[in-house]
Amino acid sequence: MSAPSAVSPAIPTPARPVSAWVLAQLGSIVGPQHVLSDRGALRTYASDALATFAVEPGVVVLPASTAEVAEVVKVARSAGLPVVPRGSGTGLSGGALPVPGCVLVGLSRMKRILEVDLANRWMRVEPGVINLDVSKRIAPDGYYYAPDPSSQSVCSIGGNLAENSGGAHCLKYGFTVNHVLAARLVTYDGTVVDLGSAVPDTPGFDVLGVLVGSEGLVGIVTEVTLRILRKPEATRTFFATFPSTTEAGHCVSEIIGSGIIPAAIEMMDRLAIEAAKAATGLDWPDVGAALLMDVDGPLAEAEHTSQKAVELARRTGALEVRVPKDEDERLLMWKGRKSAFAAVGRISPNYLVQDGVIPRTAIAEVLAEISRLSQKDGLRVANVFHAGDGNLHPLVLFDAKRPGEEQRAEALAGEILRICLRHGGSITGEHGVGADKAPYMGEMFSEADLDTMARVRCAFDPEQRFNPGKVFPTPRLCGDRPGIYSPHPAELSGLAERV
Amino acid sequence: MAVLALPATPADAILGVPPTRVFRPASLDEAEEAVREIARDGLRLAFVGGGTELDLGAPPSALDAVLYTTGLGRVLEYAPLDQIVTVEAGVPLAALQARLRGEQQMLALDPPWAERATVGGVVATNAFGPRRTRYGAVRDLIIGVTLVRADGTRAKGGGKVVKNVAGFDLPKLMVGSLGSLGLIGTVTFRLHPLAETSSTVLFPQVTPVAAGRLVLEMYAAQLEAGAVAALWTDRGVEVGCRFEGFEAGVRQQRDRLSSIAQKLQMPAEVLDGSSADGFWRRHTAAREAPASLRAKIASQPAESPQAAAEAWAILREALQAPRAVLYPTLGLGFVAGDVPEAGALILAIARARAALALHGGHLILHAAPAQVRGQTDVWGPAPAATFLFRRLKDALDPEHRLAVGRLVGGL
Ligand SMILES: Cc1cc2nc3c(=O)[nH]c(=O)nc-3n(C[C@H](O)[C@H](O)[C@H](O)COP(=O)(O)OP(=O)(O)OC[C@H]3O[C@@H](n4cnc5c(N)ncnc54)[C@H](O)[C@@H]3O)c2cc1C
Repeated sequence: MSAPSAVSPAIPTPARPVSAWVLAQLGSIVGPQHVLSDRGALRTYASDALATFAVEPGVVVLPASTAEVAEVVKVARSAGLPVVPRGSGTGLSGGALPVPGCVLVGLSRMKRILEVDLANRWMRVEPGVINLDVSKRIAPDGYYYAPDPSSQSVCSIGGNLAENSGGAHCLKYGFTVNHVLAARLVTYDGTVVDLGSAVPDTPGFDVLGVLVGSEGLVGIVTEVTLRILRKPEATRTFFATFPSTTEAGHCVSEIIGSGIIPAAIEMMDRLAIEAAKAATGLDWPDVGAALLMDVDGPLAEAEHTSQKAVELARRTGALEVRVPKDEDERLLMWKGRKSAFAAVGRISPNYLVQDGVIPRTAIAEVLAEISRLSQKDGLRVANVFHAGDGNLHPLVLFDAKRPGEEQRAEALAGEILRICLRHGGSITGEHGVGADKAPYMGEMFSEADLDTMARVRCAFDPEQRFNPGKVFPTPRLCGDRPGIYSPHPAELSGLAERV
Repeated sequence: MAVLALPATPADAILGVPPTRVFRPASLDEAEEAVREIARDGLRLAFVGGGTELDLGAPPSALDAVLYTTGLGRVLEYAPLDQIVTVEAGVPLAALQARLRGEQQMLALDPPWAERATVGGVVATNAFGPRRTRYGAVRDLIIGVTLVRADGTRAKGGGKVVKNVAGFDLPKLMVGSLGSLGLIGTVTFRLHPLAETSSTVLFPQVTPVAAGRLVLEMYAAQLEAGAVAALWTDRGVEVGCRFEGFEAGVRQQRDRLSSIAQKLQMPAEVLDGSSADGFWRRHTAAREAPASLRAKIASQPAESPQAAAEAWAILREALQAPRAVLYPTLGLGFVAGDVPEAGALILAIARARAALALHGGHLILHAAPAQVRGQTDVWGPAPAATFLFRRLKDALDPEHRLAVGRLVGGL
């Protein structure tokens, strides 16, 4: 649950700074100007977009190549320091939140597009490349990269990979994991290994499938081969308003039940519409709920499915159906949707972004439950979400200046996750578990489930060098083989010490 | 309630390696108990579903017991409106599809031997058919799994909602694992609506190069084929492109492809609805017909017609009644035939592998006579990530008792 607009917390400083030996080693690998250890810089990197959590890293390193990343990891290892990878820092679950005294490895300098192969429909990029820049590069050729998180103009491909990020158009096209063909990984001991391939069905376990969504816990990704798609011939969009989220939820079920696979189908409730209007100046009416939907594909298919979907919207109680008159108006509608998180800042001093999943058919019921909770607690909740796959994003509004309100907002956001679980859903659909939701993992998974996942993590990183303390609710050692720590010679001679 | 171990018969052997006992649990509880019992005795175990792809992989390097999953035959939860289904591993794919068809839905996987192949087996072997072009492979459709680890621990991963990033992705780890990391007990899949209609444009006689050209032209024209298959025999190559969806879109796409064919001067035939069944039956027959050799070939998609043509030219020399199926949009295909003489085939496989490697590709033997297996690695060169495969094996099956030696790298 993130609070992009929450008050800055006090940032704890690590008990001991990173030793001069480590700083010198890192400087010799990436160049001293790319090793940041002054207080100002360390504060800058103390949080991701989950600003309620902040920890100063021991040092920030900005490598420029796979080889540099590997050397950096080796130094961190020999000094016994944890390593936290970081992309653009837009994560909403504290995935890139520093661990006290860690080496924070920022990938923002690695942003080259290395190779484009249109005939085979893939593109090889460095992890710091911004999501939208992938599509921009191939747009002139009529291709695009499908996963489109709302943060796509700032978030990195490496972060997308680590979080298995989704977006509005993932309903039809799938998530990051369905669009990654291969990745280069630096593991805990600095080994560089390629997982997957642009050629399908390499023998062995689907380690690439495990890597995607592993939240920076198994290594640092330094290269990614992405699947790219030919643009669909036509896209048809409509915006429909409803008296309440009940009718809108029913409409979603009817459309999907009719055999249509929309490219995207997004829902906003009254409060979210109000916020989007305040932020963009869109002339949307004041209604209980709205749906924004795209269908795409070959022209005749898109025409047919959009007509059919509009009919279904009318039949399920739409008050009004608007079709954008041109591409500009269409983009404006989508801007209204994509800016909805930030827009909530217009109607509330602070808010938390929650991310939970329920079966699509439970949308109306769950929103009603959330609304009851919201009334009981006296806190407003705005809903703007990926309705097609039941991925809710309740925004819990609060005022941090009122004593205790932030805690109550946190508690309410937590209750929402429990509602999702009671309906057979998940505690996160795209923002990840990170530092934020680790405590809830035990409510979704059994001890045996978590043990099995921990074993998988340990197979990649037996020392838990990467992102320790994230995802898993309780610390666990890797089997009966605790971290194989061997002191560095410099350390033995008293030049360095462990933090 | 102890699960009875039954004495094995010669029919229980896997690639000629006989177990001493078999288990036929009737529920997941019984299966878990059997696995515990086997663990207690330190026995080496393999799981068998419909037995359709048992020849995939190397023979087990040790085998004491076989556990048949066919008794795990229940559909546990089917939510048509949420388009998800949870089934036990032993449910045959065709039986599941029949059930889903009642709600105008499908699991978008169409591998061969659907009558016998169980969903657990389909996951464990990463089996697929022509639909993969549009809907992806098992990894793109599996959203949850319950597995029983080597020590009998039951664990689940994923869930029953389509979108979910909580925890490590255990479902994907099971795909293609051949049961070497644990018993796949139940699987949850996302489902798709059945298409309203379909139409296939058939190219009865094309060259491999023309088949490749056709695929590129389709992308250029923004056509979205649901399936493309090329059937190779000694008489030549025929290609079928299928469009699926609502009537209007299907009609428009098949007409456009027909005009592209005219422009390229490629004779083509439009086969609407069930009139295309003949072609797709020939396709399935080509994949299912008994053959002592079956090899999967893979390369970059755009190069696959050329790569397949080269592999075909080499392999057919060493095969009787050779045939092949290529999915040019995927870069994957299968070559099959009977083996008159093992020595010639061993050489041919090595040459075909070298030819494919030039296209970044590889060849995996799905079936081969014992003499051939003895002289050539069924998986080919082990990928760089094999050390991670080994560590995963160590982590989940520390005593190496499950499907031992079947996987790449001797795992
Ligand atoms: C306004 C807003 C809207 C958003 N909308 C969406 C949305 O629609 N859908 C969605 O899915 N998310 C959304 N997000 C969340 C966020 O943008 C995504 O999770 C994104 O993928 C994070 O990318 P990043 O580069 O900022 O990664 P960071 O936040 O820097 O890191 C995220 C995780 O990735 C790891 N990591 C980063 N790079 C690497 C690497 N190279 N190797 C290994 N691990 C690495 C980090 O350790 C961390 O665990 C939104 C966020 C904001 C602020």
